[in-house]
Amino acid sequence: MILLDLILILLTGGLLAWITGKWSSILPRIISFIAIAIDLLLTLSIFLKQEGFGHTAWLINYRTNWIPSFGISLHLALDGLSLLLLLLTFFLGLLSVLISWKEIRERVGFFHFNILWILAGIAGVFLSMDLFLFYFFWELMLVPMYFLIGIWGHENRTYASYKFFLYTQASGLLMFLSILALYFIHGRNTGIFTFDYQELLGTSMSAPIAFLLMLGFLAAFLVKLPIVPLHNWLPDAHTEAPTAGSVILAGLMLKTGAYGLLRFVIPLFPEASVRFAPAGMILGVIGILYGAKLAFAQTDLKRLVAYTSVSHMGFVMLGVFAFNTIAYQGVVMQIIAHAISTGALFILVGQLQERIHTRDLNLMGGLWKQTPVMGAMGLIFAMASLGLPGLANFVAEFLILTGTFRANILMTCLASIGLVAATIYSLRIVQKVFLGKEATVWKMKDLSIREKIVCGSLVIVVFWLGLFPQPVINTAKPSVIKTLNSIEQVSINQNTNPIP
Amino acid sequence: MTLLLALIPILPLFGFLVLSIFGGRLPWKVVATIGTGSVGLSALLTLIIGTVFLSLPSPDGVYAVNLWEWINTGGLTANISFRLDALSLVFIFVVTFVGFLIHVYSVEFMKGDEGFSRFFAYMNLFVFSMLVLVLADNLLLLYLGWEGVGLCSYLLIGFWYKEPANGYAARKAFIITRVGDTAMIIGLFLLFINLGTLNINELMQQASLKWAMGSPLALLTAALLLGGAVGKSAQLPLQTWLPDAMAGPSPVSALIHAATMVTAGVYLIARTHVLFALAPAVQTAVAVIGALTLLLAGFSALTQHDLKRILAYSTISQIGYMFLALGVGAWSAAIFHFMVHAFFKALLFLAGGAVILLLHEEHDIFKMGGLRKKMPVIFWTFLIGSASLAALPLITAGFYSKDQILWFAWSASNGSPWLWAAGFVGAFLTSLYTFRMVFITFFGETKTEPDHQPGKLIVIPIVILAVFSLLAGFIELPGSMGSFHLFSDVLNTLLPSVILSHENVSEIVFQVLASVISLSGIYLAYVLYLKKPALAGSFNKSRISNFFYSGWGFDRVYDIVFVKPVVWLADIDKNDFIDLFSKGIAMVTIFFNKALSLMQNGKVRWAVMALAIGIVFILTIMMNL
Amino acid sequence: MSPSDFLCLTPVMIIAGAPILMMLTIAFTRNYKVIYGFSLTAFSIAFLSLFFILPAIPCRISTLFIFDQYSILFSGIIILASLLITLLSYDYLLYQESEKEEYFIILFIASLGSLLLVAASNFVTLFLGLEMLSISLYVLIAYRRSRDHSIEAGVKYLILASVSSAFLLFGMGLIYLDTGSLEFDKIVPALSSADHSATLLFTGFGMMMVGIGFKLALVPFHMWTPDVYQGAPVPVTTYIATVSKGAVMALLLRFFFAIRGFQNPGFILIITILAILSMFVGNLLALRQQNIKRILAYSSIANMGYLLVTLLIGNETGIHAAIFYIVSYIITSLGAFGVITLLSDRQNDADKLENYKGLFWKRPWVAIVFTLSLLSLAGIPLTTGFIAKFYIVFTGINSGLWLLVISLIINSVIGLYYYLRVITALFSPANEEKLPPVSLAGHLVLGIVAVGIVWLGVNPEGFLSLIAHFSVL
Repeated sequence: MILLDLILILLTGGLLAWITGKWSSILPRIISFIAIAIDLLLTLSIFLKQEGFGHTAWLINYRTNWIPSFGISLHLALDGLSLLLLLLTFFLGLLSVLISWKEIRERVGFFHFNILWILAGIAGVFLSMDLFLFYFFWELMLVPMYFLIGIWGHENRTYASYKFFLYTQASGLLMFLSILALYFIHGRNTGIFTFDYQELLGTSMSAPIAFLLMLGFLAAFLVKLPIVPLHNWLPDAHTEAPTAGSVILAGLMLKTGAYGLLRFVIPLFPEASVRFAPAGMILGVIGILYGAKLAFAQTDLKRLVAYTSVSHMGFVMLGVFAFNTIAYQGVVMQIIAHAISTGALFILVGQLQERIHTRDLNLMGGLWKQTPVMGAMGLIFAMASLGLPGLANFVAEFLILTGTFRANILMTCLASIGLVAATIYSLRIVQKVFLGKEATVWKMKDLSIREKIVCGSLVIVVFWLGLFPQPVINTAKPSVIKTLNSIEQVSINQNTNPIP
Repeated sequence: MTLLLALIPILPLFGFLVLSIFGGRLPWKVVATIGTGSVGLSALLTLIIGTVFLSLPSPDGVYAVNLWEWINTGGLTANISFRLDALSLVFIFVVTFVGFLIHVYSVEFMKGDEGFSRFFAYMNLFVFSMLVLVLADNLLLLYLGWEGVGLCSYLLIGFWYKEPANGYAARKAFIITRVGDTAMIIGLFLLFINLGTLNINELMQQASLKWAMGSPLALLTAALLLGGAVGKSAQLPLQTWLPDAMAGPSPVSALIHAATMVTAGVYLIARTHVLFALAPAVQTAVAVIGALTLLLAGFSALTQHDLKRILAYSTISQIGYMFLALGVGAWSAAIFHFMVHAFFKALLFLAGGAVILLLHEEHDIFKMGGLRKKMPVIFWTFLIGSASLAALPLITAGFYSKDQILWFAWSASNGSPWLWAAGFVGAFLTSLYTFRMVFITFFGETKTEPDHQPGKLIVIPIVILAVFSLLAGFIELPGSMGSFHLFSDVLNTLLPSVILSHENVSEIVFQVLASVISLSGIYLAYVLYLKKPALAGSFNKSRISNFFYSGWGFDRVYDIVFVKPVVWLADIDKNDFIDLFSKGIAMVTIFFNKALSLMQNGKVRWAVMALAIGIVFILTIMMNL
Repeated sequence: MSPSDFLCLTPVMIIAGAPILMMLTIAFTRNYKVIYGFSLTAFSIAFLSLFFILPAIPCRISTLFIFDQYSILFSGIIILASLLITLLSYDYLLYQESEKEEYFIILFIASLGSLLLVAASNFVTLFLGLEMLSISLYVLIAYRRSRDHSIEAGVKYLILASVSSAFLLFGMGLIYLDTGSLEFDKIVPALSSADHSATLLFTGFGMMMVGIGFKLALVPFHMWTPDVYQGAPVPVTTYIATVSKGAVMALLLRFFFAIRGFQNPGFILIITILAILSMFVGNLLALRQQNIKRILAYSSIANMGYLLVTLLIGNETGIHAAIFYIVSYIITSLGAFGVITLLSDRQNDADKLENYKGLFWKRPWVAIVFTLSLLSLAGIPLTTGFIAKFYIVFTGINSGLWLLVISLIINSVIGLYYYLRVITALFSPANEEKLPPVSLAGHLVLGIVAVGIVWLGVNPEGFLSLIAHFSVL
């Protein structure tokens, strides 16, 4: 029940924020803050006492009928992976409210409604164990995000919001087809027509069909992730969105794609995944390198950061198709680390834009003098992004590459070039923004207390994850093992070892 | 004791944290006290622990402290834990001790700079990272320190960030070393996958158990680690960043780009010597790289005008000697040279930095001159440092360390006359360019006037380093001169001693040769740059001189081969050609929209016609199916 | 006819009697409010009477009508929709220069035609209902004759509908020629067992398809739609989009299932082609359209294309899906057109995209309902349109109609674009344009629609079982 509450709190909070927005611009902020904070605390309390939940498949499992005519149930369940992602969702959600405190001055109520509903959709995605429900939430988060980009976005917002919506919707529908096909295949095999994840696991079907259905799921997840060549919505959406939107997009929405791979693609279609693995890894490597190259070429700071996401998510793709514990732990870590570090970079871009009203790198430079604190933050997050040891991203990338190395040495070596590429574009950010000569003379203030709290908490998390990642690894462990079991089943069945 | 060990890196870290969080609001004296004090305390602790370590050796020759579990998953474990043995002892001694002196020097050197607290924060962070690097008990933690020093190097090269050239140099340093680091981390993957651990000690045991001499895996991992070492230590072919790194403040050059960080590669190879011993081909490559680098950098040093660039090339060249020593298996000789080099090169940078500071940021030695009288303390200490660098026989530490390397280059089982010859020529070059620098800077007529004399905080560290540059050599005397082996005895508890193959050759001959070559270099410098400058002048204008001056054209080649293509690629595809795909779909849809809209013209006859077509179509199907 | 037969006819008779009473009243005195109130009462009573006749069904009245659960369900839908349209019409016609009372009379006659259509079990009643509906619509479309496109739209509809009716009639004639009967019960066995040689029968049926296709605005019989949607008064457009199409679709469903058309390869091919054409042409035409009524016209073409898929599903879930889709489409259309109606002022219909710029900031509630309707049309979760589309795709996949399903999916994406265009306009910065006030009745309709859209989108289970219960053919 607590899982449903988590979502309901956000939904009602959103409605309240919207309604109160008529009378006050401060009430919606406070309401949203409180709603998300409650969720964060609830999730934290689960996180802290996770040992107490025993070692069943799920820490918490909640299930009730929804539309029994179609075999659809309201099945929410939580395991380590979802728990981590929920923590991330609410943490970034809280920051999103804080960073919008000054940036959003108009239509505050509706803005916070959208934020909370996106978060509700994302939380729903991370919790749904019914494929219909999953798809429902998957789509649900699009509309408020569309509004967020389309209403509070920058110059080219309309184009970006269309592109975002159409890309994700089109790919989502392909997944939907696969879900339905899976439903019927399972129903005809067993006579039980259900969308329940647990039931659908291990549905037997012929290899070509499985491969086809997997492609449907992949379409949705790879667009979200995003993987080259399905990434074109991302730079536009990230660039045009308001800061909170970019943070949620990069920090959470992309992660639903990664989550989908781990939760659905691999367990539902283990054999097909193994067959797809080489292609998947190649796509991952292309994403890493091509994304980095594009990031390097940009002059719009926000666009640059957006393309780094493409590059970083390539690592996720690479790790997912390596099929081993270390790589999977790396993927989980990368999901979180990238959310924090890239989210932080977007926050910095937002803070810059609030002050100097431009994102053009050529108009910046030498800002360190006026804003040393912001400069230091920028430096830390740039370092996180290039994978400096001691910071979160390093743990993630190291684990992914170590794991991948076991599966495919060539791909790992190519992906490692991405580390150099990341250095190049990350240093370019620092140099172009904070160092060098002042291209234009700006009068600007350094970070305010509120901004320091936001950035400071992100810094702490980046270091915490970089130096004490073990709690996260331990929490994710059962889920990782569960996902891997389905793959191992394949190798046992085939009597061959697909994992070199 | 182990807790104290943990404190050694933690103190500078603490200094860094305090300075980076509150630094901007503290008065400069407090900043200076925290910045130097933290490193000073570490140095003190190092002395205590070092004394205890040497006097009461623990049974396994190791002090270890495990702080917390860092990563543990899928068989991969890496902890935050430190391990002190003879090799790391030498390094932490140099890092904290020389580091402390440089910090003291910096208080005066950096006084009045608006980034004063930032500078000390970075320096403290550097000392911390370097200590982590040398104390790490596993390769992952070592890599953390390794990248940490890279970051600090980047930050400090670009310390004066307003000058874009500094930023460029900083990025160049970071990116080029990162190339090496990437090779190294692939080496780590390889080690972990094949040996199942990243703990250095276990790795070495596993490697010697599982891998045969010269097995491909051993060769590959050693080569990959060598890649990391080459990048960090500015050896061929990744040496190009170091001369540019001189954009940083002089104390930085002294600490990071001479005494400590750039020798991390030496440390890494010595630390994983078992692997290199299993990979003889790679070990030979180490020696060859060292030999080539020392020659190449020596020639380049000969043509530089910028005082600090001369010293930078000299550093590259001296590290080349260390690589040469490592390559021939003279492990402790390499470490010995590292230590001695740290003293005299730090000295040279600090003294040179003082010269530059007093001459208002004048770097060009040809605009100096006659400083012997103007700043006598600096002159004498600089001279001592130069003598040590030029390996002036008997009295300087540099002589003992370099002589040992030259001797082993010939006599060690891995050695060869060729390697020796390279080192020998290098020694000549060294004394030549060193005294070229000395003569031009301190002799002749005065071209720029200093306006004040260095203060105590600058002079004292330089003098202390000068003393060490002279005396440090006596802890390790060659067999022909009393055979006193304090240094190598300590290290040989850990590192294998040299296997000699040419016992029949007398060591004394080599010492005489080395002395002669060193002295003749000095003499030639005297002739060329003091007596008959015209001789040098014609050489300076020559093409070959330009070629040496530009660092053998490596920068230009890299620019054409790597930088230009990447920038070109980035430029032509800035807007991402894949986006054309979505644009194309939009265009096709709009085309259909326009075509259909033409028919939707509101005319009833068109509607009827469409209706008729529909009927024909329906009836046709009806009739045929 | 027995008394119970009369009982079954109660709703129809109420709807039939109301206009007569209204005409008599008008003969006495013209009072808009009275007529309006009377219409509301009549529709309400008619709706309530449906519950009274429930125990009496199914009942057949000679061979002309059949009142079974299916037709009761559709009667309810038709009456409710008419009721809501009446509510919407009041304000819209308030400022009409003269003779606005007759509007409601004609509305009743049109509804009567629709009711007959869904209860028809004979070609005679079918044609009677259809023509009653069509002829009422001619008048209604041209009702505000002083306006620019009103007469043009009316005449176009008149001409084209006549042509299509002619085909329908001709088709019936041919079928009669072959089977010698006008009763469904007799024709159905003949059609479902007919083989290739039954040329007359098939030709007849093909010609009937033209008539039906015209009413449903399927491509290529769709050309009238945008012009008529645009020219007609908005409540009438609403009526065409909802009641008229719903009733015709109900009839088609019943007939098509009775003859088991989904087993006939010819029918399958025709329906498939018509469906795919309607989807693509409708959606593509709407892409860059600036006029909202035309956008919705094109959207309705596409939606009827989606709906055709249910015909080929070939089991009762197809009927369920179709009914759900029709209901959800009616609710959604009522929302969309309702907003247009409420925002139309004395002179002009609010049918241009600019009229809606920034509506959300001026009239948030109205804009929300409009947004919900558009999202529902686009098939986004939380709205009934999502469940409706899901149901079709669901049953379509179950029956292996991959071609149709995939084309539906592609078209959902294309369609999304123009719905988003409208939504974007709603949420863009507001302009200075003044908006007419919205009456209580308007708010009521919007409220019902909004609740309906969200309720069916979030908790469709109750309604699904209702459909399952009522859709027994």
